[in-house]
Amino acid sequence: MTTPVPGTVRPRTVADRPGARRRRRVEAAWAYGLLGPSLIGISLFLVLPILVVLWLSLNHWDLLSPMRFIGLANWIDILTDPTFGNSLAVTVVFVLMVIPVQTVLGLVIALLLSRGLRGSWFFRIVYVVPWVCAPLALGVVWKWIYAPFGGALNALLGTSTEWLTTPALALPAVAAVSIWSQVGYVALFFLAGLAAIPSQVLEAAAIDGASPWQIFWSIKLPLLLPTTFFVLVTGVISSFQAFDHIWALTPGGGPDHATDVIASRIYLEAFGGAFHLGRASAMAVVLFVLLVVVTVIQQRWFAKRVTYDLS
Amino acid sequence: MSHPLSRRTALLGAAATAALTAAGCSPAQQSSSASSSSAPVTVTVRLWDDQVQKAYDAGFAEFSKANPNITVKTTLVPWADYFTKLRTDAAAGNADDIFLINGSYIQPYVTGNLISEIGSDFADLRGGWSQAAIDQYTFSGKLYGVPQLTDGGIALYYNKDLLAAAGVTPADLASLTWAPGAGAGDTLLPLLKKLTKDANGKRADEAGFDGSKPAVWGYNASQDLQAIYYNFIGSNGGQFQDSTGKFVFASDQSAAAFQYIVDLINTHKVAPAASNTNANGDFARDQFLQGKIAIFQSGVYNLKNVADGAKFAWGIAPLPAGPAGPVSVVNTIVIAGNAKSKNPDAAKKVLRWLGSDGAAYIGKAGAALPAVTAQQQSFTDFWKAKNVDPTQFAKQGELKTLPAPSGANYGAAFSAWKPIFDEIFLGRTPVADGLAKAQEAANKAINS
Repeated sequence: MTTPVPGTVRPRTVADRPGARRRRRVEAAWAYGLLGPSLIGISLFLVLPILVVLWLSLNHWDLLSPMRFIGLANWIDILTDPTFGNSLAVTVVFVLMVIPVQTVLGLVIALLLSRGLRGSWFFRIVYVVPWVCAPLALGVVWKWIYAPFGGALNALLGTSTEWLTTPALALPAVAAVSIWSQVGYVALFFLAGLAAIPSQVLEAAAIDGASPWQIFWSIKLPLLLPTTFFVLVTGVISSFQAFDHIWALTPGGGPDHATDVIASRIYLEAFGGAFHLGRASAMAVVLFVLLVVVTVIQQRWFAKRVTYDLS
Repeated sequence: MSHPLSRRTALLGAAATAALTAAGCSPAQQSSSASSSSAPVTVTVRLWDDQVQKAYDAGFAEFSKANPNITVKTTLVPWADYFTKLRTDAAAGNADDIFLINGSYIQPYVTGNLISEIGSDFADLRGGWSQAAIDQYTFSGKLYGVPQLTDGGIALYYNKDLLAAAGVTPADLASLTWAPGAGAGDTLLPLLKKLTKDANGKRADEAGFDGSKPAVWGYNASQDLQAIYYNFIGSNGGQFQDSTGKFVFASDQSAAAFQYIVDLINTHKVAPAASNTNANGDFARDQFLQGKIAIFQSGVYNLKNVADGAKFAWGIAPLPAGPAGPVSVVNTIVIAGNAKSKNPDAAKKVLRWLGSDGAAYIGKAGAALPAVTAQQQSFTDFWKAKNVDPTQFAKQGELKTLPAPSGANYGAAFSAWKPIFDEIFLGRTPVADGLAKAQEAANKAINS
């Protein structure tokens, strides 16, 4: 059996055309053979579920009775449903609360930790611990912290504020937990990004008389753009999908639907008693499209500004 | 996020089950032949009550001695997730062979042919079952489920020490009455005010009482369907659901009942704030067991918990009467056989046993009042030996009662009214407006 060597393409001549064709076919077979396992994985666990969800969104299904095709009824239903509109708005507000704070705070922590002060290894671990913990467990702990009667926060402040059941406070309270649990993860990536900046660039700037602020603003920050892009994209996606700790803190969408983010709504529609699998699937598709759009916008914006070449 | 995965699993499971059935080798058919031979089988039983689970485990050990080929395994799924998990598992074909189910959630399983009829194989046992239970679970002339637990009626558990400290005697609780707006004839509110105390030691009927710093609450007024609001509605002459299954809880009588409960919480502050109790159904019980609630209105389903958990002297008193007398919700719980069970013969054997001698274990352990009438004495005997008289629950059950809520889409209706009720109990939505909105949402959902 001949083993094709990639990159050894000779100018084609009439004489060896059939052989080249065979070689190309063999090469293609090899490529597909090697891609096969991951293609199967992607089709089974990514493409197929997406198709199933799309199909479900056109059906009425309550898990127990037979599935019934109803065309676009679920879509018309959810797109005219003010509760779903509210969920979209709540999710956007939640993302706007979480992402800027978590990114800036993560960067500040990374800058502080990168100065190599004594004991910073300890804080590196401390900041990452919440991210490592199960979000549901964190939600339960924070539920106790926020409890109006016997809760730690109210005991500390000497108040009896109902953090999680007052509509105006519930979303910021939930967002604060989200930021707290994610900031260590963001800081970790910024730390890695900072470590990758060649020291000679920073030294050259310092010799040229740049102030620490100028070094940060004109050198570190632009060189951190790839990290920022990664942190923002993953952060935005996970905030749009946030569910576990929100559900643990404010089950059922919170007071007056104040924390009824899209993921909560999808869960409620599907498993909250009504078992409207079709409607829930349509909502899941909306969330999917929304995330694709937001990610593409972010990608376009960064593509013009990011350099991955740090040499 | 785990739900897309669950949905997918459910779908694949359903597809696989359908394929197997189509191929003429459904799990049920396979197992008929399996269990007719004497190969050992395991029958699984799903339930939500840990006290009942302990009683069952003891009973099934005996059952297996008599039936060495059948091992029975119980699985506990907490109440909060019970009906969600049961439904997804039933759709995926993973439900247990036998499971506890209540009247509110059974209908979709009956219409979906997912639970087996309790038919002629059980004819010899039916005479020993509570007739109310048989009626509650008979659909189109067919019975679905073996009666297991009956709640009787609701009553008051009281903390004798807290009563004594407030100068209240158990006799004061014997004939309590409530009236809409705490008007003429209301003896409940003055008593609750006497029992409620703030952190400074001031009682709720004293000047300077600060309800925002509670130390002891008089009562567990809260959004508890079975223990609290259903009974207030009934004792004010109202209904929650009419005979056709339509929700009618926005009536004047029901609104006055809800208003009374909401006032106890938010105006008089003789009960914990709804922010504690709306999402945590066990908050009131836990506070009662910690000596922070004087009167805990609940059912026989909490008797074992109270007896095991209370570190103080306690007693049981009748439900307060309203303008229509003391009216309680009654409920029976059945154990149903999974129509898609892999071991239908063995499961039937277990069900027959639970519908006869097996029910004694629930009574013997004091876990719940068996709905198999012949076995109820074991329950009374258990508590008599502990100097507890549980007859109040049964007595209340024999008075005027309201049936437990039901409907094909009960779960959907419940999740439609729940967020609106949350706001009503928090005192943020006026009772009448909220009830009208909730009723409309619930009726829309039950028909969806």
